[in-house]
Amino acid sequence: MELNADSRLPVIEYEGLTPEENMELRRAGVLLQPLEQLKAWARSNSLWPLTFGLACCAIEMMGASASHYDMDRFGIFFRASPRQSDVMIVAGTVTKKMAPLLRRLYEQMAEPKWVVAMGVCATAGGPYVRSYSVVKGVDQVVPVDIYIPGCPPSPPALIYGLNLLQEKIRREARMRREQA
Amino acid sequence: MRTMALLDEANQVRTEEMLLNVGPQHPSTHGVFRLLVKISGETILDADPVIGYLHRGTEKLAEDLQYTQIIPYTDRLDYLAAMLNNYAFCHAVEEALDIQVPERAEYLRVILMEMQRIASHLLFIGTYLLDLGAMSPFLYVFQERERIVQLFNEISGARLTYNFMRIGGVKYDAPPGWLDKVRAFVPFMREKIKMYDSLITGNEIFLDRTRGVGVYDAETALAYGMSGINLRSTGFDWDLRRKKPYSIYDRFDFAVPLGQHGDCFDRYYLHLLEMGESLKIVEQALEQIPDTGPVLGKVPRLIRIPAGEYYSGIEGARGELGFFIVSDGKDKPYRLKIRKPSFVNLQLLPRLLRGQNMANLIAILGAVDIVLGEVDA
Amino acid sequence: MSEEQPQRPAAPTKAARGQEAGGKAAAGAASAAGRAANKQPPAPDPRVLAAREQAERLSQAVVEQFGPEAVLESGAAHHKPMLRIVRERWLDAVDYLRTHPDWRLNYVECMAGTDYADRIEVVLFVQSTELGHFVCLKTQTPRDEAWLPSLVPAHPGVNWEEREIYDLLGVDFRGHPDLRRIMLDDDFVGHPLRKDYSVWAETERPLVDGQRP
Repeated sequence: MELNADSRLPVIEYEGLTPEENMELRRAGVLLQPLEQLKAWARSNSLWPLTFGLACCAIEMMGASASHYDMDRFGIFFRASPRQSDVMIVAGTVTKKMAPLLRRLYEQMAEPKWVVAMGVCATAGGPYVRSYSVVKGVDQVVPVDIYIPGCPPSPPALIYGLNLLQEKIRREARMRREQA
Repeated sequence: MRTMALLDEANQVRTEEMLLNVGPQHPSTHGVFRLLVKISGETILDADPVIGYLHRGTEKLAEDLQYTQIIPYTDRLDYLAAMLNNYAFCHAVEEALDIQVPERAEYLRVILMEMQRIASHLLFIGTYLLDLGAMSPFLYVFQERERIVQLFNEISGARLTYNFMRIGGVKYDAPPGWLDKVRAFVPFMREKIKMYDSLITGNEIFLDRTRGVGVYDAETALAYGMSGINLRSTGFDWDLRRKKPYSIYDRFDFAVPLGQHGDCFDRYYLHLLEMGESLKIVEQALEQIPDTGPVLGKVPRLIRIPAGEYYSGIEGARGELGFFIVSDGKDKPYRLKIRKPSFVNLQLLPRLLRGQNMANLIAILGAVDIVLGEVDA
Repeated sequence: MSEEQPQRPAAPTKAARGQEAGGKAAAGAASAAGRAANKQPPAPDPRVLAAREQAERLSQAVVEQFGPEAVLESGAAHHKPMLRIVRERWLDAVDYLRTHPDWRLNYVECMAGTDYADRIEVVLFVQSTELGHFVCLKTQTPRDEAWLPSLVPAHPGVNWEEREIYDLLGVDFRGHPDLRRIMLDDDFVGHPLRKDYSVWAETERPLVDGQRP
């Protein structure tokens, strides 16, 4: 069969691969990579967040996962159990009454796990920073990877934040190889 | 679920009561709400709601804020109906000071409030059906809700927490063409309501799960101080837009749909019917709204309420939403108390759950239509 | 007697404003009041007078049943009749007005507690769904050893409101079936809505096992 421009396969840019890696994959059909990096690539494209809506931000989180913004496009798919999820999106105000439970849920999640602080309340207390019952930022309770500002952040902001988290996961794997 | 069955010497099955903890992180509790349920087999013996996981101390914070500064905090109480919360607070201050609101502002407020009511009811229908196991209505409602949110975004600049109403009016006039977009939205939404009606209401499974479930009568509802759809589902005619007309609601022709049985199905169906009535109000308001005019009345720059006590309530999306202001003549309230409809409506829950099947828990809880930001304040 | 009852409860505020002869003047006076906050408007508002009059009748009903020492004060809270009842008679009086044929105050709208320098005041906005009355009932308790009788036997709907007042203001409601903290943790110290509560005092508490209790 004659191979011409019309019968060539369409060019696919695989999500989460660098342009060089994409070119390599297209040229050879095979991509050789360290296992860590491949794992990070796979993980970053199937982030399963825990449905952890606390307050107003939860509505925008729901909005981001529902039909209009559709986070499933990125492989981001909400799970109701901490055992099945690897990202905790802390969407809303964390109160002192809730903080121990949040910590417990975080500990119940399997490694590797990441935390996204969505909105100013989860980032630093937000408008409730002077309240007697509010934790001034979720990073006092669990380590946070991505902070998304806004009150509440719009769904595009949340999606951008999660894309940054994907980027971070992949970059960390790459950096680990360079360090070793 | 695990049922503990122990065999005694005579080899007879003996059951034990067990405590089941639902929440605070649970997909069906609509936020951080915890329910300690005592069950025997599948039957609920007792339920103890635990709230306060989202208690943010709004009432205390408000004591240190000027009246205008409190408005953004009201957004975050019932975040599904922020416009109504904005209005309820501004209305309370306006009543206290006898401030006249310009005509155009009143109409804009009514249009926004009724659109907000539709958005809130839409979300109720979506999440309620999601709780009962039907995924697709959730995906549908977000499309329509997104349209409303976009319209709000255009006029106020925010998608969820608008901070749009001001004491004496609204912050901005509608941008050019905005009212036409709302005009186009009304027939669109009317079609969608018909679609929901045919998609959900006749569904056999849905009917089985909601009809005759969580029934109470008007007397109980009144004794427990319930309001809104939770009260009207019992057939008791109580809508503050009618009973104590505020704003310009006396100029519109709309019906107050009433339930007959006081069960979960009635509560669902009233949400659907009220959306239609809200559309009627929006349509009439669009006809009557003056073309031009100021949108912010004459208000002193520093708002001080004369010493005294003021209470005013409006018909929120979930029931009577009231603000009680104690003033000592300063520019900040001495005490601000929020009459939170979901908080009051939720009290009946343990009584409704007793003796019910465990599977009905979600159906009954969902139909109360709570927003935890409002319950906990 | 019942003929003379004011049967116009909450008149539509919008319409009332337009009809009143002094509607314009009242609005003007209000903005003046906004500027000079503490000065009383010169002419008494007819709505306030009507509320005072109704409060007087309400007071008579309570006095007839429980004696003159049961009522501390009758007046108006903005445009609503207000009656201040002594705390020992709080439950009895509210229950009596709930079933009284002329009043039938059966539907609680709002219950709120306020901390003043010398007392804690609890306000109950209650209305009659049949007769249309809307009144404000008050009672008060000293700040130390604050207690009030619980209204749950009369109005089961105030159960959580009383728990909230207990939680945030530290008022002990005697006879309440389930008086626990509702908003805050059981080990929270202090009552935040009291005026002398300091947000910062709490962070000064000593650490226990590296954490603040």
